[in-house]
Amino acid sequence: MTGATNGRLREISRRTALGALGVGIVGATVASWPRLSGTDIPGRGDNSLSIAIMGTAADAAARQRAIDAFTRLHPEIRVKVQAIQAVDWKDFFTKILTMVAAGTPPDVVYVATEGAQLFADKLAHPLDEYLRRDAADMAEYFDDVHPSLVEAFMYKGSLYQLPMDWNAANMYYNTTAFRQAGLDRPADDWTHLDFRDSLVAMRKARPADFTPYYWTNRLFGGVVPWLYANETSFLKETKSSGGDWLWDGFYAKDPSRSLRSGGYQWLEPNADDPRVFESFDYLRGLVQDGLGVRPEEGGGSSLVGLFASNRIGTTPAGGYWVQGLHEAGMKENDYDVQFFPKWKSQRHQFGTAGYAIMKTAKDKDAAWEWIKYSASREAMELIFPNPITTPARRSMVNEQLYAGKGPAHWKVFYDTLDKYPTTGPIPAPPQQAAVETALMKNVSLAVSGDERQLKEALASMQRDLELALRRQS
Amino acid sequence: MSTTTRHRAQAAGSVAPPAAHAKAGRHSQPWLAWLFLAPTILGMGLFTLLPIVASLVLAFFRWDIISAPTFVGFDNFAEVVQDPTVRVSFLNTLVFVVVAVALQLGLALALAIMVQEKLPAWLRTFFRSAFFFPLILSAASVSIFMRYLFNEQFGVVNWALSLVGIPAVPWLTTPGGSAAVVILVYVWQNFGFSFLLFVGGLASIPVETYEAASLDGATGWRKHVHVTLPLLSPTTLLASVMAIISALQVFDQPYVLTRGGPGDSTRTAVMVIFESAFQRLEFGQASAIGVILTLIIMAITAAQFRLSKRFVFYQ
Repeated sequence: MTGATNGRLREISRRTALGALGVGIVGATVASWPRLSGTDIPGRGDNSLSIAIMGTAADAAARQRAIDAFTRLHPEIRVKVQAIQAVDWKDFFTKILTMVAAGTPPDVVYVATEGAQLFADKLAHPLDEYLRRDAADMAEYFDDVHPSLVEAFMYKGSLYQLPMDWNAANMYYNTTAFRQAGLDRPADDWTHLDFRDSLVAMRKARPADFTPYYWTNRLFGGVVPWLYANETSFLKETKSSGGDWLWDGFYAKDPSRSLRSGGYQWLEPNADDPRVFESFDYLRGLVQDGLGVRPEEGGGSSLVGLFASNRIGTTPAGGYWVQGLHEAGMKENDYDVQFFPKWKSQRHQFGTAGYAIMKTAKDKDAAWEWIKYSASREAMELIFPNPITTPARRSMVNEQLYAGKGPAHWKVFYDTLDKYPTTGPIPAPPQQAAVETALMKNVSLAVSGDERQLKEALASMQRDLELALRRQS
Repeated sequence: MSTTTRHRAQAAGSVAPPAAHAKAGRHSQPWLAWLFLAPTILGMGLFTLLPIVASLVLAFFRWDIISAPTFVGFDNFAEVVQDPTVRVSFLNTLVFVVVAVALQLGLALALAIMVQEKLPAWLRTFFRSAFFFPLILSAASVSIFMRYLFNEQFGVVNWALSLVGIPAVPWLTTPGGSAAVVILVYVWQNFGFSFLLFVGGLASIPVETYEAASLDGATGWRKHVHVTLPLLSPTTLLASVMAIISALQVFDQPYVLTRGGPGDSTRTAVMVIFESAFQRLEFGQASAIGVILTLIIMAITAAQFRLSKRFVFYQ
């Protein structure tokens, strides 16, 4: 490189060039510091209400109409939605906790049952004061929402979230597979034995490249629905006292009022219960006889495609499946849904989700206004225009939502709560992540071998759960 | 530059450096050196040394991200050592290292010899790229793809086996099957690196050595045993050290393929660190496990270098 200086060519040394490069790098770093430190993110550092949801940018965009409507109602509150991509709820909560550790926690987080008690125990602010203050405004919401969903968000007598959407583990079945096996729609009160007979008939009709019962090793829709139907669980379920202020205030006339409490508690393991063994043994039989799969851990991502291609007879899922099946090309009569089979009872398992206000929220009143608006019929219709989940409001689970998509018996979704009021949430204490790992890691072994292996797996599960519950969440 | 050297340089026809340059050479400018070193020092300090120190310190605290850390001394280490899951995961990791590294190095060496010896130049280039290709793929993406491949009911692998009358194998739902798949996927994705090292090592062995061996009557197999392997030993040492360190830190494949199951059959040391920290929020315990794993890696690497004095031959 040369340059003219006083009419003479002067060599620019390598050192000078490198020095200039160094200065350039430092300059570029200083100039781009806002980007590197994330301070240029819209809403970062200002007084916007930041709302974290699990999902993609598209999911955040889907809420934009609701945000616009909210802003018209509350022009003084600026809202920004942060969509956080995660493998599952556990992964999502981890990312939220990382934001907390980094000193940039969101103000409001969309939390599912899996994390409800973790947040209530450590991170969330109770809604009690706001519900008492705005009881008149909120009465219409509670009239439209089943108390079982609300109770799932009670923790030690306080309510931490308002259910927005939910899903029970019902039984989806492929109508073509049923027809080929000469089976009619199962009765509402079909039993686990009837279910097994259906699987045998389907296996007979389709000996190859077909799975009569496909299930995954997860907290939702895995072994837990069978445990609930058999009136047991892998954790001892108790309820805390309190919460009367809510039940007497909003559900005084509800027929299931006497069942309600200050929230669920899961304090001890229960894998050594004979009914747990019985439930696992039943599933082990399905696997051994080629009627059900050995469940993979965390599986389920390929399930919609497999079900839509008529290679699965039955599988447990909730209302969240409808839109996916529709997009996969299933017509409304290609599949249907029924209650989960009865065993000792027909208690179902469900999961629900709603917004939680963080203890660290800058403006909790503004956060409450967002939650209150989101719970309105108007907002919910904007947020859930399609059956990607089951809305918490009973009135929204209607013909219009499932028109042209199915299933024919969509009423099963909300009837699960109305007909079986003891239906309960996923067992998720504050130590949910460790508890879920303890369950999942032993399920495959329990159902894949002989009776001795099953007993060993359940003993191992009991030990792992003891350890998980002993730990600090 | 000394006077003598300068004279020699001038004698050789080169231009003597300007006086200013000579002066600059005599007066060193340390601040300039530090300026150039600053990005590396800053990067290493912030993203390598600081986390190491922080992890070491955290190992003596109980911290769940939300509450303030509390000092617990060696409690984390005591709990970790007593935890059966941690013990099993370390044992799994050691077994994995032995099997996966042996397969990885064996396969890489065999293919390197075959490619170097038997193939024309254009095919050699093709295979080098082909064998290295899996390494540039994301381990998570590969593992997700492999999950589909090895699915018991609908996987391509079982479908292919069924064509020759072999019944469906429960690859990912039995301890033996899942361990085999994890090792297989890991080796497939990582052997390319060792392969390239061996190809480089083989290219550096003088042809004369083989010619001499041939004159002494050595055939193909004996030639490799008595010439290739000894002269390749420095490369083998490097490849084995790197393969072992990498295998001791295996996480992606077992996490995505099996989540450590069934039971704890494919749970590895790094998986337990991840679960402790990011699922149970026990950052102190996770750090303690990390410290133990680091010490194990250091001990194994040190042992390898000590043993290398006996088995490595430099030309």
